[in-house]
Amino acid sequence: MAEIVLKNIKKIYPNEKKSKSLFGKKTEQKKSNLEVTEEGVVAVQDFNLTIKEHEFVVLVGPSGCGKSTTLRMIAGLEDISAGELYIDGKLVNDVAPKDRDIAMVFQSYALYPNMTVYDNMAFTLKLKKVDPQVIDQKVRAAAETLGITAYLDRKPKALSGGQRQRVAIGRAIVRDPKVFLMDEPLSNLDAKLRNQMRTEIIKLRQKVDGTFVYVTHDQTEAMTLGDRIVIMKDGFVQQIGTPQEVFNRPANLFVAGFIGMPQMNFFNAHLIRVDNEFHVETENMSFEISPEMANLLAQSWVAAPATDVIVGIRPEQIYLTEPNGIGAFKGNLEVSELMGSTVHLHVHTEDGNFVLIVPATELAKRDLKIGDEVWFKFEDNAVHLFDKNTQDNLVKY
Amino acid sequence: MKRDKVINKILAVFFTILSLAWIYPMVMILMNSFKEETTITTSTAFDFVTSENSAGFANYIAALEKQGFLAAFGYSLVITITSVALILVCCSMCAWFIVRVKNRISNILYYLFVFSMVVPFQMLMFTLSNMANTLGFNTPFNICFIYLGFGAGLAVFMFAGFVKTIPLEIEEAATIDGCNPLQTFFHVVLPIMKPTYISVGILETMWVWNDYLLPYLVLDRTKYQTIPILIQYFRGGYGRVEMGPMFACIMMVIVPIVIMYLLCQRYIINGVISGAVKG
Repeated sequence: MAEIVLKNIKKIYPNEKKSKSLFGKKTEQKKSNLEVTEEGVVAVQDFNLTIKEHEFVVLVGPSGCGKSTTLRMIAGLEDISAGELYIDGKLVNDVAPKDRDIAMVFQSYALYPNMTVYDNMAFTLKLKKVDPQVIDQKVRAAAETLGITAYLDRKPKALSGGQRQRVAIGRAIVRDPKVFLMDEPLSNLDAKLRNQMRTEIIKLRQKVDGTFVYVTHDQTEAMTLGDRIVIMKDGFVQQIGTPQEVFNRPANLFVAGFIGMPQMNFFNAHLIRVDNEFHVETENMSFEISPEMANLLAQSWVAAPATDVIVGIRPEQIYLTEPNGIGAFKGNLEVSELMGSTVHLHVHTEDGNFVLIVPATELAKRDLKIGDEVWFKFEDNAVHLFDKNTQDNLVKY
Repeated sequence: MKRDKVINKILAVFFTILSLAWIYPMVMILMNSFKEETTITTSTAFDFVTSENSAGFANYIAALEKQGFLAAFGYSLVITITSVALILVCCSMCAWFIVRVKNRISNILYYLFVFSMVVPFQMLMFTLSNMANTLGFNTPFNICFIYLGFGAGLAVFMFAGFVKTIPLEIEEAATIDGCNPLQTFFHVVLPIMKPTYISVGILETMWVWNDYLLPYLVLDRTKYQTIPILIQYFRGGYGRVEMGPMFACIMMVIVPIVIMYLLCQRYIINGVISGAVKG
């Protein structure tokens, strides 16, 4: 039940000076795109976000993008190099983790191996010198919610991965914290268990009163769990929005490519404006931008009449069509992956490779084989246009 | 495959003979501790105990009645327990600090501890005994601090090796749960380190309990004697040695340590491996 405000939060890891590290291991230069200043490596840049009460915010991005660092700064496990962090209106930059009224679930569960499940969950309350009866009541209630009552007397090593993660979540629940922080809690589980636990987290969220900040690199988790998603790359926030927003209106090329499975198809093209009409042209084909989208484009248009763009189109928004249709693309089928009710077709064209998602029934009708010629079209309003230089979406929503 | 089996058999025989040779002196002491004095000092020393040469427990009673045996036993016990407790508590905390606080000082500290294992005791013993005398470290209570210094190298090395294997997240979880560093150490880190505590504890106990040279050089021998020092006082005047009681005394001293080792050897091996590999 708390609002979290992150104002211009920055994290800088000081450079390790080689001359100083006596006997120390030689510092390896990591190959990443993080900005390196005189002060050190900037892991998180100017992070601004207001997380409303009872909101579920997911930080998502590839490895090394700064999402875990941001979470650890909220937890108090990392110092904040610059900026202000407020929890429930109180500046907490220099407040110890235990006084921030937060609970954290770690990727590796981080259960105390020497304690039973019961003691693991009761530990934090015991430290606060809560009445043993209240502790017992709370632990049993949390165990009931998570379905781990039967394991209360076991040690963590006698539990499976899923059970351990439940205990870790239980340990967070018993504290009744204002904020739940979760650092890739499902990454160590196998695919089936991950899906199951994901559903349980959604259910849990309805039962538990708290603000959630969840870190993951898995965009499916981000899309299914989050009220809002924060997409990060190289320490910078790329876009903040609801799952629908980031999926339908990606702010830039990175977001467009990161969200969605399989990935959005991209190809280089020219965008030509004639009055209020827009055409996309490559060497081998051309198509017209729908009037709705053209309107949006015209509003935010600042470029010259013709500009180089990267066109993005999601695989599910491409459909197979008859040969030689207007605005149709031609390619050759390279790979066909049956996913069950749908088939992913990998098609090679002269403008690049495309992935199409086609219903299995339709493919059966067409009887396509590897190497066959394939004709396909884009749905109206489905294309995304990105500036080739800045990689930003040309449409400002 | 067949050749491997033959080699294994040869090795088994070889090592059996080797371990018998190893244990033989102990068996000799055990046998002779039950024999009469005259049968020990002659060629019959190698005979088994029979009804003719048996002295029963007479040697053991003589050893117990020996001037200062119980006091020496007590001093040995106090020194061993206090030293080992000091080594365990101080070195485990020190190793935790060295591993978790990564800076220049902790690095230097770690290498100093490791280096201290390389320096042989004999190199320091004369200056040390003088210094201990001057500073008043020549009592059974203060000698424990000297043991702490000499035991720290191995102990820190082994503890540090183990701490590296403890996931940092567990300690971070404790921090979030509300522990201060001391609570984190005693509630979370210490119980996880139990196997290493046991193995370091056993190694250090065997060393301190059996140590002869350090108490001999440092302690004021007119007042305080430990068991290994006392054993040499079984030599009487004119080179006469009371062999029977001496053997009995030796047996009484090694039996507790052997039992302790047998009970806990599983932990020693685990602890040494984790220290060696991860250190």
